[in-house]
Amino acid sequence: MITWLPITTFWSRRDSNPISETRRGGIRPVRDGSAREADLTASGHPTLKTSGITKTFGGVVALNSVDLTVREGDVHALLGQNGAGKSTLIKVLNGVYAAGSFSGTLAMEGREVSFASPRDAAECGIGYVPQETEVFEHLSVAENVFAGMTGGSKKARLVNRREIGRRSKDILAGLGISIDPNSPAARLTSAEKHMLMIARALARRPRVLLLDEPTAALSSTEVKSLFEALSRLRSEGVTTVYITHRLPEVMAICDRTTVLRDGIVAAEFDRKDFDEDAFIFAMSGRKLSRLFPVHDAPPNAPNLLKVEGLVPGAGHGKVGIHREAEVSFSVASGEIVGLAGLLGSGRSEILHAIFGSLPAKGTISVDGDPVAIRRPRDARRAGIALLTEERKRDGLLFNLSLGRNITIGNLGPLSKAGFVNPGREGQAVRKSMEALNVVATSPAAALSSLSGGNQQKLLFSRALMREPRILMLDEPTRGVDAATRQEIYKLTVDLAAKGAGLLIVSSELEEIIGLCTRILTVSDGRIVDEFKRGEGDEERVLRAIADAQGRQFEAAA
Amino acid sequence: MTVFSSEVGVVGALLILVIVFTAIEPAFLSDRNIRAMLRVVSFIGIIAVGQVILLVAGEFDLSVGSVAGVGAVVAAQLMTSLGLPIALSIAGGMLTGATIGLVNGIVVVKVGVPAFIQTLGMLFIGQGLIQVITGGVPIYPLPPEVGAVGREKIIFGLGYSFVAFLIIVGGADFLLRRTVVGRNLYATGGNREVARLVGINTDLYKIGAFVTIGALASTAGMFVMADLASAPTSIGSGWELLVIAGVVVGGVSLFGGSGTIAAGIVGVLLLQVVTSGLVVIGVNSNWQQIAIGTIMVLAVGLDVVRRKLAR
Repeated sequence: MITWLPITTFWSRRDSNPISETRRGGIRPVRDGSAREADLTASGHPTLKTSGITKTFGGVVALNSVDLTVREGDVHALLGQNGAGKSTLIKVLNGVYAAGSFSGTLAMEGREVSFASPRDAAECGIGYVPQETEVFEHLSVAENVFAGMTGGSKKARLVNRREIGRRSKDILAGLGISIDPNSPAARLTSAEKHMLMIARALARRPRVLLLDEPTAALSSTEVKSLFEALSRLRSEGVTTVYITHRLPEVMAICDRTTVLRDGIVAAEFDRKDFDEDAFIFAMSGRKLSRLFPVHDAPPNAPNLLKVEGLVPGAGHGKVGIHREAEVSFSVASGEIVGLAGLLGSGRSEILHAIFGSLPAKGTISVDGDPVAIRRPRDARRAGIALLTEERKRDGLLFNLSLGRNITIGNLGPLSKAGFVNPGREGQAVRKSMEALNVVATSPAAALSSLSGGNQQKLLFSRALMREPRILMLDEPTRGVDAATRQEIYKLTVDLAAKGAGLLIVSSELEEIIGLCTRILTVSDGRIVDEFKRGEGDEERVLRAIADAQGRQFEAAA
Repeated sequence: MTVFSSEVGVVGALLILVIVFTAIEPAFLSDRNIRAMLRVVSFIGIIAVGQVILLVAGEFDLSVGSVAGVGAVVAAQLMTSLGLPIALSIAGGMLTGATIGLVNGIVVVKVGVPAFIQTLGMLFIGQGLIQVITGGVPIYPLPPEVGAVGREKIIFGLGYSFVAFLIIVGGADFLLRRTVVGRNLYATGGNREVARLVGINTDLYKIGAFVTIGALASTAGMFVMADLASAPTSIGSGWELLVIAGVVVGGVSLFGGSGTIAAGIVGVLLLQVVTSGLVVIGVNSNWQQIAIGTIMVLAVGLDVVRRKLAR
């Protein structure tokens, strides 16, 4: 049984408020092995060590020979942009990717280990809290904390409600929250559910705790109590690997930081070298520039889309996705406006709110006239089109052929009195397949036979068939090959040249910076920076986000 | 492509069954037996058309047996107790079925009660309504014109019900294959979110499909009434399962978004051939239900395996 100590260590352990710690030091190259070993013997043993982890997905390298060393008792931050490989690395560490599906080795406390499943990893002392909340709503809090541990093993075939209730209460109290262990989990707030998942991981008394963006679902006071709990765990010798996008949190709580970029370890920092600028520099890096077709917005073009006081998710008595955070901006004819920001910053929600697929408060005007958009049909009628982010989930209709996927929702002009004209439909399909270079055996082909790039181009065909004047693209190049990527860039620029207004969300900062005529940086549902092409780069975006998060963090503390 | 090949499979199975039964007992292919089978298929088939449309839209209806019975006894009561003209009474029966469908649709789509629960509940409610409306005794006699319609022979010794069945099948097949409404139904059942994002009013389509199957079920019930020249309380009893089993055997997916009218009807026909064939070759009738159950599970098993291979 873990006995929890009173909180004495958190703020007092550091000699000053970590946020205001002076910035010093620059980026350091990854040091050679001997230097690292020396460093380790000075301050602890490696609890967890990976050597040469390489993991590929169908030819795409997600992790390239990653060496990660986590010292005992540290809170070790794992930083990196979206797609840098953080989640992949965590899934290697927690057994989600079984040994054999990647190359390289794992070692715990000096002994080599291999995990065939997450269960193996848990038994070896690795606790994992995923980013998404996975709570059994119909079970009690205590049953959730001990989920998976109340049966199966020989010792505990029966659920001892009183025992798990008592122990849950202890664990939850240690996390700084007091909830009745017998109340149903469905009654908890989303933040409490997330704390419940952390409690579940702690119930197994892990030696290493992996937290994947633990603060994404938490309010500022809850973040504070989480940090207090982490400090307490640290004092008990529990090691934490902390994945985050939020630099102020790293500055506040972490002892060591590893920055991943494009699947490699870009830099490592000890606490004494922590510096936000250095983090940002390491995260953005200097990638080989892709060629982006150049397009400049015509001066003094009329506004096509104007959004004022938009609160995505609000309405029908509900608060917005980011509470009261609202956005106002406009898109002019011929402009390509990019929404840059981290996952969960509310970029996609802005698009869905404009499209009517997410309820929202605020005014949306097209051509200067306010339009009431309550459902996607209204937006489409107003000349707005949306290419959604997850084509398998909210784009493709796998029960219909390629051709019918293009014409669905666009059958009006291809039919008479409700009867589809097969000749006209076939012609329209062939025309748009040709225009966008969709490669398939025939318009009757099944979607499953198409590559990701061709699937994406077919969704473009569907969106463009109505000749929208405002086109919103959510991650337009996700999961497509390099050639299609270029085609999509060219198409985007062509559409803007013809006078359409484009609004693009992408997790690839380079793409946003390279393609867009104007960039809006979004953080926690607010627009925190705006600049034209050439006035800023990836660093400017990351800096604006870090500053915004810093302000929020300070306001909370 | 896969849908087409599945139809070929069911048609093949149907032919093999016909050949086997005929080889054992040539009387299986007698005019009399064929007529008897088609008569039943036209009643069940009218409802099966509605079930295919509803399944394509991504929902299903278990209450159709009761709705057929309610439609028949309402129409019978209107023309006897209230003395309304026959045409008006028939319209009343259809309207009753459509209204029940509307209630099913609204509760499932707008309130969010699963179709299984709502339509199972409606199955019981309908059974009760039949008893309430009739007082538990058959409504008899009906106006002589009703019995005359039931006795009329139009083609191959089959009457209006068969003709209506053919017209409904033709119309529904055209609807699903060639109209915007049909295409939107497939989209709604295939992925409701995508359908919504391309501007389709998915709620309206689903409710419309519920109304359609309600109206068709009551129509089938009234044809049986004409056939019997009476409205007993047993009309439609047990049909709900035969209809579902039939269209599923034909390859209409329970997961929504795929299946054709032709496939559903071939499935219904196949089950009828099995039922009738077992009787004709002298198998104890207790085995019929075992055969139907086995065939249904086999057919769905094949559907599931096919989907796994397709992905």
